[in-house]
Amino acid sequence: MRPHQRTISIQKVFAISFANVFLMACTFVNGEEDPKGIEFFEKKVRPILSQHCYECHGAEKAESNLRLDQDGGWLAGGDSGPAVLPGKPETSLLIVAVKQGGESVDMPPDGKLSAEAIKVLEDWVKRGAPAPVSRGLPTRRKMDTEKLRSYWSYQPLKRTQPEVSHPGVMNGRVDAYILDRLSEARLTPEVCADRVTLIRRLSFDLIGLPPSPDEIDDYLADASPTATERLIDRLLASPHFGERWGRHWLDVVRYAESLTLRGFIFPEAWRYRDYVIEQFNEDRPFDQFLREQLAGDLLAATSISEKQRQIVATAFWTLGNTNLEEQDKRQLDMDVVDEQIDVMGKAMLGQTIGCARCHDHKFDPIPTSDYYALAGILRNTQMLEHANVSKWTEVALPLSMDDEVQFASVEKNVKELSASVAKLEKQIAERDPTSKWKDKSKGMLAVTGLEGIVVDDTQAKKVGEWVTSDSVKPFVGSGYLHDSASGKGEKTITFVPVLPSDGHYEVRLAYTPGTNRSAKVPVTIFSADGEKSIFIDMTKTPPISQVFISLGEFKFESAGQSFVLIANEGTEGHVVADAVQFIPREQSALLETKKASTNPPTNDELARLKGELKSKQNELKSLEAMLAARPRCMSIVERKEITESPIHLRGSVHTLGEVVPRGFLQVVEPARESPLPLNQSGRLELAEWITSPRNPLTSRVYVNRVWYWLIGEGLVRTVDNFGTTGELPSHPELLDDLTLRFMESEWSTKTLVREVAESAVYQRCSLTRESTQKDPENRFLAHAYRRRLDAESLRDAMLIASGELNQEVGGSTIPKELKADYGYTSDSLRRSLYLPVFRNALPELFEVFDFPETSLVVGRRNSSTVAPQALFLMNSPFVDERSKNAAMKLLNEGEKETAIRVNTAFRETLGRFPSEKESEWALKVVASEESNRAEAWGELYRLLFLSLDFRYLD
Amino acid sequence: MSDWTTRRQFLKQSACGFGSLAWSALASKAALAETTSAGTLHFPARAKRVIFLFMQGGVSQVDSFDFKPKLAELDGKKMPFDDARQRANTGTGESTHRILKSPWKFARYGESGRWVSELFPHTAMHTDKLCLLHGMQTEGVAHGPATLFLHCGATNFIRPSMGSWVLYGLGSENDNLPGFVTIGPSAGNGGARNYGTAFLPAKYQGTAVGQAGMPAERAVIRNLKSIYSSADLGRRELERLRELNAIQQQSRGVDGEYEAAVASYELAWRMQQSAPGLFDIVGESKETLDLYGIGRKETDNFGRQCLLARRLCEAGVRYIQVTYGDNTANPAWDQHSNLPKHAEHARAVDQPCAGLLEDLARRGLLEDTIVWWGSEFGRTPYAEKNGTGRDHNPGGFTVWLAGGGFKPSFSHGATDEFGHRAIEGKVHMHDLHATILRQLGLDHERLTYRYAGRNFRLTDVSGRIINDIIS
Repeated sequence: MRPHQRTISIQKVFAISFANVFLMACTFVNGEEDPKGIEFFEKKVRPILSQHCYECHGAEKAESNLRLDQDGGWLAGGDSGPAVLPGKPETSLLIVAVKQGGESVDMPPDGKLSAEAIKVLEDWVKRGAPAPVSRGLPTRRKMDTEKLRSYWSYQPLKRTQPEVSHPGVMNGRVDAYILDRLSEARLTPEVCADRVTLIRRLSFDLIGLPPSPDEIDDYLADASPTATERLIDRLLASPHFGERWGRHWLDVVRYAESLTLRGFIFPEAWRYRDYVIEQFNEDRPFDQFLREQLAGDLLAATSISEKQRQIVATAFWTLGNTNLEEQDKRQLDMDVVDEQIDVMGKAMLGQTIGCARCHDHKFDPIPTSDYYALAGILRNTQMLEHANVSKWTEVALPLSMDDEVQFASVEKNVKELSASVAKLEKQIAERDPTSKWKDKSKGMLAVTGLEGIVVDDTQAKKVGEWVTSDSVKPFVGSGYLHDSASGKGEKTITFVPVLPSDGHYEVRLAYTPGTNRSAKVPVTIFSADGEKSIFIDMTKTPPISQVFISLGEFKFESAGQSFVLIANEGTEGHVVADAVQFIPREQSALLETKKASTNPPTNDELARLKGELKSKQNELKSLEAMLAARPRCMSIVERKEITESPIHLRGSVHTLGEVVPRGFLQVVEPARESPLPLNQSGRLELAEWITSPRNPLTSRVYVNRVWYWLIGEGLVRTVDNFGTTGELPSHPELLDDLTLRFMESEWSTKTLVREVAESAVYQRCSLTRESTQKDPENRFLAHAYRRRLDAESLRDAMLIASGELNQEVGGSTIPKELKADYGYTSDSLRRSLYLPVFRNALPELFEVFDFPETSLVVGRRNSSTVAPQALFLMNSPFVDERSKNAAMKLLNEGEKETAIRVNTAFRETLGRFPSEKESEWALKVVASEESNRAEAWGELYRLLFLSLDFRYLD
Repeated sequence: MSDWTTRRQFLKQSACGFGSLAWSALASKAALAETTSAGTLHFPARAKRVIFLFMQGGVSQVDSFDFKPKLAELDGKKMPFDDARQRANTGTGESTHRILKSPWKFARYGESGRWVSELFPHTAMHTDKLCLLHGMQTEGVAHGPATLFLHCGATNFIRPSMGSWVLYGLGSENDNLPGFVTIGPSAGNGGARNYGTAFLPAKYQGTAVGQAGMPAERAVIRNLKSIYSSADLGRRELERLRELNAIQQQSRGVDGEYEAAVASYELAWRMQQSAPGLFDIVGESKETLDLYGIGRKETDNFGRQCLLARRLCEAGVRYIQVTYGDNTANPAWDQHSNLPKHAEHARAVDQPCAGLLEDLARRGLLEDTIVWWGSEFGRTPYAEKNGTGRDHNPGGFTVWLAGGGFKPSFSHGATDEFGHRAIEGKVHMHDLHATILRQLGLDHERLTYRYAGRNFRLTDVSGRIINDIIS
């Protein structure tokens, strides 16, 4: 892309440091030196400023931090830097803005100044922008990074020792810290939850599924003091652990399998999902997991499977809900980088770095230069291939050396074969004039005899004067049009097909050749892929049957833009337009073969060529199929040219400032001592910095997330925000102690989960007594939080009760032929996390039950209680079917005794036996419909699904 | 006092928005949700609700409400223009294009004598109700970005939609209905993001009624229909559920969240009883149906959408969007080629829009309802690629407003002599958002929500209230 001239010059000027600007300014603002200039300012300039600018750039509003009411305010400037560069009107933002050339913001916003006023301002700036110095130059706020560095989360992790002299239950260090605070607050912790409650809680928390009646019985029957520990070990070893915990991470990294824009599908996103699941099942070190996502493509691998994992992991960068259609591609690139910084910042560091895109962070010690230091790293990584609608990056999954060699040779063969097929086609076309004549003597091809959809010149929309002719044969229909080689630039002709369905079509253009024709006719194809212009040499005979030339294959949406436009702009000689043919992909593939079999060969040579073509085409087809079968994955690639990023003033790609060397957040350890490598993006170093044991944020943020996922509330409740606008930790020593030991355990998630799950604080009863009065928010953790089952657990639990849940692990769940997610519904019975996460078509149950916004980092889900949830449970076909199927299963299981059946229904849904009152109630429900037992039992299940004890986790 | 009354009272006190149920611990969670208290008005309100008639794809201003005789005069002439798409693609917009005159005749209408093209004969009869903004400007040259900008004030970032902001600011007038309804939304060009809440709480989400491509006749709120064939059976189920939940609550003690869940079933039940009637237009008079063009092939569908908008408006819905569009990448009004196709779309929407204006006025609703008609951008006055259609134009286009305290019979701003770029009385989309919020009593600079450590607003760091258009 060609950078704009003006932008470059502005950039150069802004590269001058502020100090210089001030120095220059001082010589001019010193009133003594230019009394005439000051008079000019007071008489001509100030009236303009006061009439048009003060309202927004005065003391009250100071838009963009720019004050024009203070003398010299234009030199101090605002968020975009100085507004006036004395002596340089052409690069002064004030002048650029009032000229309203569309290069920067247009000012004033409601209309343009008179030409006269603009001239005055220009003259004034040219003159050095003289003005009286009344109160000295205004100063700009300076960020006090040092002071802000003392904020707790930027401090190194502290090692402490808890007091251990607490009476009562205490399993380890975690409880010691908790009990310390509880006794300070004079609060008594609740007792341990009963075992029935505990197994349901542990089972949902660790694997996202309810315990089966057998599992409950086994646990209750286990009298040993280590029964709970063994239960936890069993759950940690389950393959479902990774599903439950992987889904937590997918919330954080805005995982989705489509884009809202046009509903584009990410067919390979599932590999990243499965990688995340595997990560938690295998309990690989969490720091390594982060490094793989950040820079897997740059890491060394010892095996192919490791390399595959590393590449798949980098899909982390590409899952954003990007607007690929943005036409300003520089803007698009920066928006992508911005999204990546935002996600990385919140997910891994708990920092809202995105705030520093336009100005120094207002609250946290993150200056704009830090933002562009990070942006510089990410700009060196290519995420999109640009086109009208840009495309995200997919790469071939690395394979074993043998496979790679084999694929390389297939690729080479495909190239060679394609060339010889093309050559053969040409040879055949030269020898085989078409046989589908409307009137052979007149060289007229019948429109109806042609494949696909044909738009003849008679049906096309003409602009300018086109002349009909039938001099040169053959042609389609009764003639063709030409521009008489006149009125160049004034004539176009548009062929608009009526396409029967969306899909891929080969587009062919018919024209009659001749030496008087134009050798460079611009033909533009408007399709769902955007617009593509091709130049056609009409002096040459069309290669297909001497009538058509293929323009390539395009995707068309029946109601969208689909047309072919021929223009005579910039052409010499006659421009001819005969017809345009649109052949559906399936048909186009068959065409050649069909032709070979239906057209009797005119001579032996032709027959031989056709035979050869057919076999080459078949070979090519099978080789191409082999290539297409090669697995691919979403990823990113390093750019060839490594650069540093300039600051974008006010976040705009059109006003660039000083270039910032690539780097990290200055406030966060470890500090970078040497510059980043010139031959790599710097992502590898970024990954090392993020996962450094000296970085106080990364591990703290993650340990706090794990705590939140188990306890239901974080030690720092703003789990994605550890900046100064976030909350303080309730138990800072505990958080640091857990974090330090987490890193010592080689960042093992399972070890951490085990320790927390085994603690008394996790296992406490959720019923509350006096502590709610003193500590209504339960910050001291005297009791457990009662939680609502999330969307996935709710759905999975219903499918378990109905005996329908398909517990297969992993794999793609998107139909191969699916091109857009619009209106997609799934009737899959697999676990909820395998339902395609489509941004335009989330499963209804997800939408209603607070599934996270799939375009944002969501470390903490909403937990709303709204009527649409009740409507869904009462009336949706999903719940209705689960209830009926659960009833059928129960009735078919052989147990005849009603009371026992009731017990089973309760145990399958609520994980416990019914109370006496509940039994009575249930018998009433099932007894009332003797005539239709299945319906009555179905209603029982539905009511159980709607009941509080099913929807909540004690 | 029975349990039942207690619950009802509880509901009354706590409900705010579509069946949202506060619970006792909410106060303590509020700090976490990082809400800024909205709900009190910043200005005296001039309007209570908004109906946005979204003309998806980009209506051409120079073929509808922005009459430019110069185009007929110079038709076919090649002239230099600063083309927005080219500027976005290459950094410079200078290029030569062929002037394309409007194929439609213009005439003056109403006391105000405003020019309207023959595409909109019905709307033209209401010009004295309209406040025309001729100097509109927006961001984004392609549908995706511009449509998101229109709805959410951002071309790419994930931001709440305008309806969500309005609902967040004003709350609902009817607790049994969603406060933000979008009728027949398009799945394309941002899809659900155009009525999404992003980081605002879920209860401010727009509720889709039907979707583009689905006949308006079938558009309803999901799961509203009971699975039971008779009301008696439904009532019996509710009774049984009450019993079971009461038993379970007894063993748990007082819990605000349990209360809320129980209350949500009661509310759902009431909605199930009352809301379906809203979608049934059987009770409307023949005269009303005719007004909207319902029953006539061309206008039936959009007419039904508009009539439903009026009914929702009467029922207290705050923000109603009615979309005329489809799910393609080049929706409805997007005539890159074959400009005459505009007539087809105009025929489908003109009478229904006019009918809605008339109906609202007759019922006195126009006084406190803002009707906003417009697209994500306008179109170029020159032929795209020298062909038979017009390309996108975010630099100058027209929208109209009616009711809600906007000056009737008024026009504001102007484009250049070709109708290409706004030159006077420019109104940026941010400004339009700010001004509509102003009429609802909300200050766009103070209607903020704290998320990820900072305050966000619909107008980002821009937006001016256009006082000139307020009566």
